[in-house]
Order: sequence, then C-alpha cells, then structure tokens
Amino acid sequence: MLENFGYLGVFLIAALLFALTMIMLPPLLRRFGIVPKKPNPVKSSTYECGMDTVGKSWVQFNFRYYFYALIFVIFDIQVVFLYPWAVSLGQLGLFGLVEMAVFFLILIVGFVYAWKKGVLEWK
Amino acid sequence: MAVGLEHFLILSAVLFSIGLYGALAKRNAVVILMCIEIMLNAVNIAMVAFSRYGHLLTGQVFAIFIMVVAAAEVVVGLALVIAIYRSRETVDVERIDLMKW
Amino acid sequence: MNLYLLAPEISLCGLAIVVILLDLVLKRKGILAVVSVAGLIVPGAFTLALWGREETTFAGMLAIDQFSLFFNLFFLVMAALVILSSVDYVSKFRAFQGEYYALVLLSAAGMMLMASTRELISIYVALELVAISLYALTGFLKDPKSSEAGMKYLLLGAVASAVLLYGMAMVFGLTGTTHLEEIAQAIPGGGLLANPALLLGIVLLVAGFGFKIATVPFQMWVPDVYEGAPTPITAYLSVASKAAGFAVILRVFYEALGAVSLDWGIIFAILAAITMTLGNVVAIAQTNIKRMLAYSTIAQAGYLMMGLAAVSALGSSALLFFLGAYALTNLGAFIAIIAISNKIDSDLIGDYSGMARRAPLLALALAFCLISLIGIPPTAGFMAKIYIFNAAVQYDLTWLVIIAVVNTAISAYYYLRVVKVMYLEAPPSEEAVPSSASLRAALSFCCLGVLLLGVYPWALLRITQAAVDIFFP
Repeated sequence: MLENFGYLGVFLIAALLFALTMIMLPPLLRRFGIVPKKPNPVKSSTYECGMDTVGKSWVQFNFRYYFYALIFVIFDIQVVFLYPWAVSLGQLGLFGLVEMAVFFLILIVGFVYAWKKGVLEWK
Repeated sequence: MAVGLEHFLILSAVLFSIGLYGALAKRNAVVILMCIEIMLNAVNIAMVAFSRYGHLLTGQVFAIFIMVVAAAEVVVGLALVIAIYRSRETVDVERIDLMKW
Repeated sequence: MNLYLLAPEISLCGLAIVVILLDLVLKRKGILAVVSVAGLIVPGAFTLALWGREETTFAGMLAIDQFSLFFNLFFLVMAALVILSSVDYVSKFRAFQGEYYALVLLSAAGMMLMASTRELISIYVALELVAISLYALTGFLKDPKSSEAGMKYLLLGAVASAVLLYGMAMVFGLTGTTHLEEIAQAIPGGGLLANPALLLGIVLLVAGFGFKIATVPFQMWVPDVYEGAPTPITAYLSVASKAAGFAVILRVFYEALGAVSLDWGIIFAILAAITMTLGNVVAIAQTNIKRMLAYSTIAQAGYLMMGLAAVSALGSSALLFFLGAYALTNLGAFIAIIAISNKIDSDLIGDYSGMARRAPLLALALAFCLISLIGIPPTAGFMAKIYIFNAAVQYDLTWLVIIAVVNTAISAYYYLRVVKVMYLEAPPSEEAVPSSASLRAALSFCCLGVLLLGVYPWALLRITQAAVDIFFP
C-alpha cells in the first residue's frame, strides 16, 4: 500500500520539476545570450497568435441561450435513463421496449410543446 | 490503509455540510442553487458508496433518479431566477424582499 | 405487474398531457377548465372501481388499499374544487391557461402516488412531482411578488428535499433496502438510541417531511409563499399538499418504523405543541387575510400532528377525519376570499368591512368556514377536534390536549375579528360583489360538506377507520 503512495510522490515531483523547468528555461536562455531580446507591441500582446478580445470577459449572456439549455436538459435526462435500459433490454423484453416508447412519447410531447411556443426561434 | 465505506461517508457528510452552509449563507440565488446541487451530489456519493460496499444495485438506481429530478428542479429554479431578474434587475436574495420572512 | 391498479394515476397524467396539447390547438381557452374537471371523472371512476381491493404491484412498490384509495378520492375532489375556483382567475391570463390546469392535475397525480407507494425511490419521485409542479404554479403570475414566492418556495423546498434524501440514504445504508416493509424487518433491535445513525436518518426524514406539512421549525416559507402565490394555488397548497405530506408520513412511519413508534411519537407530540402555539400567536398580528390564514394553517398542522403523536388506530383515523374536515373548511374560506378579492382587488382584512351587506352569501359562507376553523358546532371542525382530542386523551397526552384547547381559545380571537369586520363595520361602498357560477358551485359544495360532517360524521368516520386498518392488523 505504502509504495503506491511512493509512486504517486515520484510522479508529483516529476510533474513539479517539468513545470518549473519550462518556466525557468526562457529567462536562463536569455541571460546566457542564447536568444536575443527584441520586444515589439505585437510580440508582447497577450494573445500573440490570436485575435484581440473585444470588451470584457465578464459579460451577460443573452437569456435566450437558457431556452436551448432547457431543451438540452430534456435529451440529457433521456440519455441518463437510456444507458441502464439499453444494457438490460434483453431481460426486460417487450414490456421494457413499450415502456421506453411511452417515456419517449412524453418527452416528445414536451418538445413539440416547446417548438409550438416558439422557443427554438431566435427572435 | 484501504479506502473503505466510512471514507466515502465522511466525504459525503463534509460535502453535504458545505452545501447546507452555502445554501443558508449565500445571497445570490444562482449560487444557492449550486449549493443545493452540492448537497444532492453528497447524497449521491453516499448512495453509490452504500451500493458498492453493500452489493446492492438499488443505491445506483436511486442516484440516477436523484440526478434526473435535481435537473428538473434546477431548470424550474433558473426559470424563476430569470423571471425575477427581468422585473427586479437583481438575483440577490436579500434584496428580494417584497414580503418579509 | 398489474397496470390496472395504477389506472387512476395513469389516466390523470394522460389527462394533463391532453390538456397541454389542447391548449396548443384550441382558440377558445374556456373549454380547458371544462375538459380538466370533466376529465377528473375518469380517474375517479377507476378509483371507485378499485374500491375494497387490497393488492400490491410493481414488486411491492405500489399498494392499492383503503388508505391509498381514500387519498385518491380526496386529492381528486381537491383538484376539482381548485380548478373550479380558478376559472375566473385564470381566464384573466392572456396565455398559459392550459399549463396552469395541467400542472394542477400533475401535482394531484403526484399526491396520489405519494399516498400509495411503499418504496423510498418512488416516494421521492412522487414528492418531487408534486413539489416541482407547485413551484411553477406558485411563481405563475407575472407580478414580482409571485415570482419571489416561487423562488423562496423552490430554494427552501430543494434544501428540504436534499435533507430528506440524506435521511433516506442513511436508512437505505443501514437496512440495505428501500422497501418499507423490508426496512421494518431490517431495523435492529434495541430502539433508536442504540443506533445513532438510524436516529439521524429518522430525524432527517422528519425534517424533510416536516417541511411539506409546514411544522415548526420548517414553517418560515408558509406566509410568504401563501401571500405571493395565486390565491387558488394558496388554497391548494394549504390543503392538498399538506394532506399528501401527512399521508406519506403515516405510510413511512407506520409501515417502516412502526417498531420504534415510542421514539417518534414523542417527537411529534412536542412539535405539535410548538407548532400550534406559534401559528396561533403570530396569526393575531396579521393584517393581510392570506397571511392570517397562512399562520392559521400552521396552527391547524399542529392540531393534525396530535393524530401522529397518538400512535393508535384512533389517532390515525381521527387524523384522516380532521384532514377531510379541514380541507373542505379551508378550501371554502379561500374560495370565498377569491370571490371577494376578484372584485375588491385587496387582501387586507380592513377592506372586508361591511362585506355582509355587499355580498351577504359570500360573507355568510366565509364566516361559517371561519367558525368551523375555530371548532364551534354544528360544523366539521368541531367534530374533527372532538375526535382528535379524544384520541390524544386516550393515548395519555392530556397535557397536549390542554395546550390545544388553550390554543383554540386564542384562535377564536383572530377568526372572529374577520367576522366582526364583515358584519359590524360600515362598508366603504354599497356596490355589490358578484361571483361566477363555478365559484358558487365550489363554495356551496364546501359549505354543505362542512355542515354535513358537522351533523353526520359517521359515514366519513367509517371510511377513515377502514383506511387506517392496514397499519393496525
């Protein structure tokens, strides 16, 4: 048991060393003059190879996303039940199949309801 | 030292207490909903641990049902949060005070 | 697996789905209320067809017996009365009428399941079916008060159900099963004090269920939610949701924890005393009639819990009788309030002045229901109190009965104050207060029921005695 924690310790130390090396390497290389220091505005920007951000990252999301999240939850929940059902369908037989069909039907009623109410349209 | 049932139960009790503290002490309605989720997941851990160490599948079935019902509950909760936010511009439960407790 | 035994619940859920779908296609929304009330005949007929049977199905998860059938009928009648009293209220909505009725029907289905399941998972699912429908109904109105009430109800209700679940996890872990009768067999001997973990589980269960029946110290949500919710839903919450809580408590505590009844009997006796005193004392200070009735329902929950504290067939049957009497009375009072506030648009007790001249029949009905809530003959409330006090005395809980009698005297003060305002003070205007036919029908049903139970209680009493027989073989 104890040696398992030993392996874990070695792993931890290796991970720390690797991270520290990666952080220390560029300053060391520059100090020994192996790499030149030629800063310019593009190079010292935060996302050198990407696009500049527009506005702050603390923004409010449009609440319409919420309706999509709701519809997502319907199918998410469905899958939670589908897995155990699929595994044991062999033993459940026809009754299990019909039962799941009824369950689907109820969820589809919910989906049709949301569709009819215009939840899926981005107005 | 092997990890046994009691470790899971202690984890579950600690998580449940953290969630309960948060649900009673936090002021943002969304954060309270998150704390309630922590409490429910603490229950799930206890259920699955009992089921694993007692060799009973019922606990896992119970956990699945808890997850599903909790999702439905949170959806209704968020809908109410949006309804309140639209009319009051705040989700701080101390400022949701048209009626006193 | 006998699906026929589940026919009342299945047909009720089917009805709810039909109502939602009809709402999508129909232009005239008035039909929805008719469909909902008329559709309730189907589950009602199934219930009556099953009457007298005693069977279990779904591997013992669902029990059909006198107890569950009694509650099936109870909840169906409550749902019908609530829908009837909502018609005026709901027809003011521009949208979402079908959803309103469908949610009422779905929560009634959940309540029926709560009374008939004997397994922890299905109890939890049924309880949440009721709770989530009621959260949505509480926050149904567009005004900020209603959403606020819904939010508070949801947050506290979710915490309560998490606590309940933790209790269930403890009981499941210690006994290794979720079936109530197997839990009863698996409970180790030596009482609760020898098994602290089980004691913790039971305390958490009491806390979780206590929230549903609004007992102290889980009553703080009641006034706010009752004030903010649409008034018909307030009525529904105060009777049906509470009755479902008592049904599930009776089922769980007698079937699973009957062996340790001495321990939980005393918990309920103490909670009953505190609950009724707090409810009555705080109700005196209220100026809003919905808030006053909210505290009054807390007090009534205290009286009802006397039936749990008296662990006997007499106590439980008195509890069921009290539930029936209280439901009709409280619903009657709320329906009268709905009719009056539809016109005057206020819930303040002061605005009810002179109502006896503006709406003589409504004022008379409200006064009659309030008198029944105090427990003065010849009303149902009087008979119910006699039975439940008698059961408590027989179980040597005389101290509790003395507290309850003192409380009844206190409660007379604030109930009679409303009567005084209606009958003795001058009205601000002579304008009559109209009421619709459906409201009048529901109100007369309630008042006649209250009067009938007050003078001829034997029929209902026999049914309640048969219903609790399953717990005392």
